[in-house]
Amino acid sequence: MDASPSGLSGWRRRGAAAFIVLWIAVQVLVPLWQKFPPPDFRYRWARYSWGMFSSIGPRYEVRLFRTRGTGAEEPIPEMPRYVRGYRSPEPMRMRAIYWSEDEVLDRLARLVAFIARDRHDGYTYVASVQWLGGQRSDRPERSELRVQAAE
Amino acid sequence: MSRPPSSFPSAGEPGAGWFGLVPSYRLATFRTAVALLTIVFHVPKFNVFIYDYTASAFHVPPAFAWLPAPTPLLGVLLAGLQYVAAAGLLLGVGASVSAWFIAVVGLYVMLLDPEYYSHNGHFHLTLLALVGCARDGISLRRLIGGRDADARCPGWPERLVRIQVAIVFFYAALDKVLSPFWGFSGRRLLALQMAEHGLGLNWLQRLNQAAARTAPTLLSVGTIAIEFFLAAAALLRPLWRVGLVVGILFIAYLEFLVKPGLFTWDMLAAGLLFLPAGDGGWQLPFDPHCAACRRTGALLLRLDWLRRLRESPREHDGGALRGTPGLELFSPRGRIFRGFHAMRILPTILVGPLFVVMALARFGGGFLSARGLGSWDVLPYVLLAGYLALWIPGVDRLLERPLLAAFGVHTERARHLDPPSWRG
Repeated sequence: MDASPSGLSGWRRRGAAAFIVLWIAVQVLVPLWQKFPPPDFRYRWARYSWGMFSSIGPRYEVRLFRTRGTGAEEPIPEMPRYVRGYRSPEPMRMRAIYWSEDEVLDRLARLVAFIARDRHDGYTYVASVQWLGGQRSDRPERSELRVQAAE
Repeated sequence: MSRPPSSFPSAGEPGAGWFGLVPSYRLATFRTAVALLTIVFHVPKFNVFIYDYTASAFHVPPAFAWLPAPTPLLGVLLAGLQYVAAAGLLLGVGASVSAWFIAVVGLYVMLLDPEYYSHNGHFHLTLLALVGCARDGISLRRLIGGRDADARCPGWPERLVRIQVAIVFFYAALDKVLSPFWGFSGRRLLALQMAEHGLGLNWLQRLNQAAARTAPTLLSVGTIAIEFFLAAAALLRPLWRVGLVVGILFIAYLEFLVKPGLFTWDMLAAGLLFLPAGDGGWQLPFDPHCAACRRTGALLLRLDWLRRLRESPREHDGGALRGTPGLELFSPRGRIFRGFHAMRILPTILVGPLFVVMALARFGGGFLSARGLGSWDVLPYVLLAGYLALWIPGVDRLLERPLLAAFGVHTERARHLDPPSWRG
């Protein structure tokens, strides 16, 4: 860069100064706000606050399948359209590094509801979650989410 | 090829201030390192996210409802442009625009589906944004050309990177103080998923696991203390030297222990910004009449991305050229390194190419290993162990002769010509 010997000057200097102040303010205040949220300002682990390896994310195994009538488990057709790389009804081991149990279940509930709506074939679509470790102590070891598709 | 001594004006960096000028080569080396990591890790990873997203019918709501979802065509376009931008960043062509483009695309992808968030990605995008602010103006060709050494650019972007490093370490340490899994319990260490290594290195991991089981409190408090120290060292210039050593050891240990993707390598790249540059502090005496010496000198100048080397003609001894004892280096503090000892010290001066070699070994080795082509993932540790082995007392006597035979073509003649005081 062919800058003048004295460095930045004029509006470039003022622009850079504004950027620096804004950058540092955001980088300092956002993680602080996330770690100590109002109204009680008590510490909690937060995703976007540089808390690397600070929490033990829950480990779980999830199976996605559908049932009808007798209750026998059947694979969900065209599964890669919904979750790439997953073969229904095989178990898939996951670790929620950045997620809570509630967020995991919310995502899976949305997924089975979407599949049921998309297929509208009268089947019941199921996401079965087995918690393997790192979950909250008040959480049952198994969670199951069911959505009946309209015909 | 030689750099004239006048190419090394005093940088006056300590008093440069936020808006003063600093040597461009440090930022250019840092940008090159970040660009390499972007090409070998970040872009492939985020392009898979883009492909997954556009190929899937199911999506969770994005972070902001107004955020448009990419179509398959836009996804292909973004993926291709990410590679083009990464190449521009590496070559130093439109580097600022390229860095901002990759940072914004990365942020967009993370906002599309929160599952794509990771601390690795977050830190890399942060560095890319700061690289986008830099105006080093040094192309890759010029960086490895090695001829010039007096380019300067505004220093505030590299100051921001240093502050960013401090912020990351400070909050990582603060989290560990307050987390029920760290502090004095160290429970998190017991649940750590340690990386597997080939070539018999797993015994080191078993040793780590045993240490975590035996003294979790000690390791937990030690980790917190190191992270706080690194945060302070990043801000306080007098602590840079010791901070760099502690930081590299800590990061290397972390990489060996858990292989946390890109984070450790981004931190190592940021470490480049704590090094001196553009000072020509290391003198490289050369014999203008020796073709092999000129070739070696030219090669070293090309590898000297931080512009720390300065060629100087060898002194004459009574009208005749003084002896040429292979490679010779004079440190900024006046210490003289010759032969094997000079070669051993070179990687600590030529850190830009060293970073490239180690990063390629890590990610290239990991690529091969993941495809079942052997334990190539241990390649960086083999290289590191090989280098550290050079510092074992007695190794110099064992390796000096073959190394000088390879690099110093007239070692024997040099020994005959050396004055007696040089032989001992």
